[in-house]
Amino acid sequence: MTATATYDSAAPRRPIVDPFVNIWTNRSLIGLLVARDLTLRYKRSVLGIWWTVLNPLLTTLVYWFVFSAIFHREGSGDAPFIVYLLSGTLLISSFFSQGSTAGGSSLIGSRGVLSRVRIPGESFAVTAALAAGVNFLIGLVMLALIQLVTGWGIPWTVILVPIPALAMLFLVTGFGMLIASAAIHFYDVLDLVRVILQMAIWLVPTFYPIDIVPDNLQVLIRINPLYSYLVVFRGFMYEGTFAPTWNFVYMGVSAVVVLLIGVWVFSRSWRTAAVRL
Amino acid sequence: MSEVSVKVEGVSLAYRMARDRAGSMKEFAINLAKRQVVYDNLWALDEVSFDVSRGEVFGVVGPNGAGKSTLMKVIAGVLPPTSGRVRVWGHVSPMIALGGGMNPDLTGRENIVMFGTLLGRAPSDMRKRIGPIAEWAELTEFLDAPLRSYSTGMGSRLGFAVATDVKPEVLLIDEVLAVGDANFKRKSSERIEELMSGGTTVVLVSHSLDSVRTMAHRVLWIDHGHCKMIGDAETVVDAYEASV
Repeated sequence: MTATATYDSAAPRRPIVDPFVNIWTNRSLIGLLVARDLTLRYKRSVLGIWWTVLNPLLTTLVYWFVFSAIFHREGSGDAPFIVYLLSGTLLISSFFSQGSTAGGSSLIGSRGVLSRVRIPGESFAVTAALAAGVNFLIGLVMLALIQLVTGWGIPWTVILVPIPALAMLFLVTGFGMLIASAAIHFYDVLDLVRVILQMAIWLVPTFYPIDIVPDNLQVLIRINPLYSYLVVFRGFMYEGTFAPTWNFVYMGVSAVVVLLIGVWVFSRSWRTAAVRL
Repeated sequence: MSEVSVKVEGVSLAYRMARDRAGSMKEFAINLAKRQVVYDNLWALDEVSFDVSRGEVFGVVGPNGAGKSTLMKVIAGVLPPTSGRVRVWGHVSPMIALGGGMNPDLTGRENIVMFGTLLGRAPSDMRKRIGPIAEWAELTEFLDAPLRSYSTGMGSRLGFAVATDVKPEVLLIDEVLAVGDANFKRKSSERIEELMSGGTTVVLVSHSLDSVRTMAHRVLWIDHGHCKMIGDAETVVDAYEASV
């Protein structure tokens, strides 16, 4: 038999290229998995997919109550505090934090399939990031409505929101793959990551205005890459402004670097992962 | 039947087991500090070699823990061999029962599309095939019920029906036939014969020696990862039966 084999265990795996090729060839599967992810989560609930919107909205109301009613704080800028809060919650808690956690547990969660059918594990990691992205987009519709209802309005820069959203998708995919690679070896990585994510979230002004932080500590916030994503996103979504250039650079570079590192580590650990799953 | 469809050459597979395997980082760090991380290699397969020709039914027998399921995973391309080489010509269709790939919260309908897509088919193709698949599996009236409510037999029927819906080039059957009732066993062996005459290669793992004897052309007997015997079905199954 001279024809090339459909599967050859001795075929070399190209470290960075192959994962991307795999993601592209499995795109219809990934689409189906994302749809399943979104519907399955709320399948047994009465309100169904509406929880996607309700979840961040209720979280935001809690923060709003704590900061506004108890501490008498307002967000930075002139925009209504609720807009400031919801934009932060959607990008950081919903998209980044939930996407990364879901990506991290994606391999372990799909071990049943992965140990029987030859599907690249990348598909499942990407699915988690995309599902978080779709949740984020649904939340944006709610945010836009609130901007209209409160009379703040929607600036034209809203059409540029896909830029920070895409960068965030890269970041979440890469970060999720890193966590997933580690979680195959040690289960408790997932618990540890949840704590670290919590810290990272509090180190960005999601719910509080940055000026309440003492000057000498503000550096800590600014070196957190998430801060740049948030500033760019808020600028486009409701402030109608362009963030400083360094925020754009920091956002773009961190997105690409984290994605490449995630993909590289993931494809390196995949061989050993198969045996452990 | 000279065309090779599956070629397994000197395949060994080791599960690397840390002794007192640390399940958490804390344990691992402690063990590492104490220099107590000792790895044992558990050889699930040891220098196994064989060829399966196109259209052949190849049976694998052996006691529990002999490495049968591991061998199937190696052929499916899920587990990369530690050493040796596996080549498969043609699309592999593994059988999936409840739990492995079938999602208990999705309905039968959704699972057909999902599972079919996992096997590499287009979702739009699968949606068109829901009817015929359900009809064959005799599950038409349960299509909109979640798989959670299916019995084991129903789940296996669905899995078999999807995996064999389009003539797969290589079909891997791991013990699923054992759970069905008499009617399902008859239907599934009819379908396997139908597929074989159409050129599908079948690798069959089973504890039911009678079904291996009647269906398989050649049989591999493995024990503790070693190839004990390989040859025509009658001879190998008889020898295996005599040994247990």
